[in-house]
Amino acid sequence: MNVQNASVEVEAVPVTDIAGSASLAVPWQVLILDDPVNLMSFVTLVIRRIFGYSEQKATELMLQVHQKGRAIVWTGDREKAELFVQQLQSYQLLAAMEPVE
Amino acid sequence: MELISHNDGTWSLNRVSELEYLMLSRIQESADPSGCDEALGRLYPSPVASTAKLDPQAAMSIEEDWREYTGPDIRAGFGKALRTVVSDIASACVEDVDGVDYYGITAPDIHAESWCSALNQARLVLHHRHDLPAEAAEMESGPVSVEWMAMLQSEIYGMLMEFLIKKVLWDQ
Repeated sequence: MNVQNASVEVEAVPVTDIAGSASLAVPWQVLILDDPVNLMSFVTLVIRRIFGYSEQKATELMLQVHQKGRAIVWTGDREKAELFVQQLQSYQLLAAMEPVE
Repeated sequence: MELISHNDGTWSLNRVSELEYLMLSRIQESADPSGCDEALGRLYPSPVASTAKLDPQAAMSIEEDWREYTGPDIRAGFGKALRTVVSDIASACVEDVDGVDYYGITAPDIHAESWCSALNQARLVLHHRHDLPAEAAEMESGPVSVEWMAMLQSEIYGMLMEFLIKKVLWDQ
């Protein structure tokens, strides 16, 4: 193959990194949603374990989940948010993430 | 039933009655969400918040990746915790206390998290499978119903979780 004379036609395709462009540039927030079956002490323990928050802060967040139905427990880049959601779900907490508006 | 935390890196459940042991020995089947979409959805929820202002395609892509790469890890972790607990329960010994047979279970402190995971998996599945209310006081069915037994089992599991959290896990 003659490399010098080879011409390659590349069809222009729009780059749509669906999971990326919409999301990597902006910060994401990690939410814990209320589940009445989960024990309050368990939710507090898990928040302390995963985020290293003080007992007081973890308790405040747990109460926010319990009383308001949800709490934002962390905000930052998407990859780390995914990791935190995975950890929270590994403890059966109802956790999810969303880009910050 | 009483839980004692020892100074040698173990904890034990003592004076476990026949009924409590029966409830504990049902943990594996109780934690199995098979055939209950609500329980499956609860144990393996979407990572994307329903309030996320995200292109539907983007949300779907994240969910697909999650199901393919992250879901199996979470599932494996749940299974590992259950196997640890089932093994601990199977090693229970029978002790005679004042002429009455009770069960005793001893486990290392490092198993406490697996116990909480397994107990919580079972509680969540029981509540979704039997459509149980969050509190026993809200139960409408009679005390001989399947739902009532499921609620009793969930209450015992919850009490045990509280013990483990306060006496073993809190200061770890």
